[in-house]
Amino acid sequence: MTYCISDHIISPLGTTSEQNFQAVLAGQSALCRYEGRWGLPEPFTASLFSDEQWASLMIDGLTRFESLVVQSVRGAIGHIDVSDSRTVLILATTKANIDLLQHGGPVDDAVYPGHAAVRIAQTLGFTTQPIVVCNACISGVAALVLAQRLLDAGCYDRAVVCGADVQNRFTVSGFQSLKAVSDEPCRPFDLERLGLNLGEAAATMVLVRRRPAQSWPMTLMASAVRNDAYHVSSPSKNGEGAYLALRAIGACEYSDRLAFVNAHGTATMFNDQMESVAIERAGLAQVPVNGLKGYFGHTMGAAGVFETVISMHALRHHRVLGTRGFEERGVSGKIRLSAEHLDISEQKFCKDAFVKMISGFGGGNAALLMSRRDDLTRQDPILPQMRTTHSIVLTPECVAIDGVEQAMSETGDALITWLYKTRMGDYPKFYKMDPLARLALVASDLLLQAEGAERFVANSDRGVILFNHSSSLIADRQYLASIDGDEGFFPSPSVFVYTLPNLTVGEIAMRNHYHGETSFYILPHRDDTAMQQVQRASLLDPSTRSLLTGWVDYDSPNSFTAEMYIIEADFEAGGHTPPALRATSPNLGEDQPSSPSKLEGVPEGRGRVSLTNNEK
Amino acid sequence: MEELVLELKQRIIDALNLEEMTPEDIETEAPLFGEGLGLDSIDALELIVLLEKNYGIRLANPAEGKEIFKSVASIAAYVNEHRTK
Repeated sequence: MTYCISDHIISPLGTTSEQNFQAVLAGQSALCRYEGRWGLPEPFTASLFSDEQWASLMIDGLTRFESLVVQSVRGAIGHIDVSDSRTVLILATTKANIDLLQHGGPVDDAVYPGHAAVRIAQTLGFTTQPIVVCNACISGVAALVLAQRLLDAGCYDRAVVCGADVQNRFTVSGFQSLKAVSDEPCRPFDLERLGLNLGEAAATMVLVRRRPAQSWPMTLMASAVRNDAYHVSSPSKNGEGAYLALRAIGACEYSDRLAFVNAHGTATMFNDQMESVAIERAGLAQVPVNGLKGYFGHTMGAAGVFETVISMHALRHHRVLGTRGFEERGVSGKIRLSAEHLDISEQKFCKDAFVKMISGFGGGNAALLMSRRDDLTRQDPILPQMRTTHSIVLTPECVAIDGVEQAMSETGDALITWLYKTRMGDYPKFYKMDPLARLALVASDLLLQAEGAERFVANSDRGVILFNHSSSLIADRQYLASIDGDEGFFPSPSVFVYTLPNLTVGEIAMRNHYHGETSFYILPHRDDTAMQQVQRASLLDPSTRSLLTGWVDYDSPNSFTAEMYIIEADFEAGGHTPPALRATSPNLGEDQPSSPSKLEGVPEGRGRVSLTNNEK
Repeated sequence: MEELVLELKQRIIDALNLEEMTPEDIETEAPLFGEGLGLDSIDALELIVLLEKNYGIRLANPAEGKEIFKSVASIAAYVNEHRTK
């Protein structure tokens, strides 16, 4: 089991979780309209720190982003010693220190998210290597998914998960080029919604694997990531990935106990529509749904952690927070929305859980289930062994498939295009991708050809998990040229979407109809041990039978590496047993629910959490 | 007008990375989206940038693009009427 023992939020609304929760409860919003900010020609509404707030947050020697993370993590860990080898820092961010990247200039080390993470970890006293989750807008929840797995797998006893992003000319112009930004306060799920507002914040949760002494700790019961396999920037019309994620966490079976579903609710036309469909499809039409972006905007990499923390506080206070900006339902899914906060004190014994869902570019969707209930324990899952079945190495000078070097007539970047033309040739979308995504797609295709299994059959049992060091630096520079280059300010939407490195895994999922997990991680440097740890822990997702995984990094046309492989979960060797969740000592307190459980309907399967009520 | 049509086709090919296509492959009257060239929502946004960058035309509302981007012919007609450079 995974328990949250501490949390912290810094946003323009406050510098603690409690301040932020109280601000939301009081109906406050940090959204303000900005004109001419960062030289941007179009106005926008966002939740930004004031100069005075930044002055009080900054730490000597650290950037704005790094200072924000350090302040939030410090707030969460308090006196906890994080210097032991059993504690890991997981950082969720989409663009980290991107504001340090200069058009045409040399690249500051801090631009690499892994380097920023190391500076943060060292400042805070961590001694283990941090992991950066860079999975676009779902990064925050995806980081909690990773934390839960690493704890379940026994890799660590404690995971400190921080989600953070800051806003700047790069990010705001990019979302504006996608016509996704509203210059008015956003209106999630409303008929008149016009787009999202960006926000900056950091939020932290400290997760542990052993039940803490405190009474009624928040329990992270289940979490999952699934892919739409539909489009890199438009969500699936029937909410496929979001629906699969909700199903994977057992949300439907738990629906009677859900106080609310906290949706992503960005207030874009397509996201909110898609979520309403997914929620209804998952059988959650009767559960209240809310969205929190009207209070503090879309905080990108922070959103998943931030909104989970606010939701935990709402659950503890027996509230369903209202959706600020919502008036009239403008989505087809028949979901229960309200602009006003609801007091659910009378139902506090039976409504003891909530679902957080989130979706993002690259087709990723994630969901988690948290509960105040803790009369459940779970056997430690036994990990399967990993068996590598096929591999590919692709560099500017060499292609080797399953260890056999291939004869090539091109080198450098031209090699990637040559391989596409001679080995694929039927996927013109290839030319629309950035170099990193092209590299990952071609390498994955050669790998899958070597595997020889039937292609393009929709499935959810293969995860796509890639790692690198440079994030999306090549696309970042290209995008920067479109806003700060010689030709003037013409931000390119098609380049901006590739400034998210998880578009690599999204493209692979889309081509191959993979609806399973897709994740992208950034490490300070290539580290096979760290990769194997994450890969093996990822096999704890009950659906995942195999992974298409590895290292894919692109610095320049003459310097890139894709080293990818297919890993099968080997249950014979590993002796995997399902992590059965069952009731033990009846730990009934006055706050304990006494209504019968509705959980018998949870389908059994490999690793599926099975529940029994302690009263049975 | 013929010159503008040809120029637009080349610019569309460049802006949308239609790598293996030439202006001759794009029919002037044929639909660009849906079945046509298989363009998607991001391509539509990129066409908005193309109009602004090359012809000084700003589309405040992306929904306007739906009519304008029907075909190369409809883009050419719109550019002809509204260009500022």
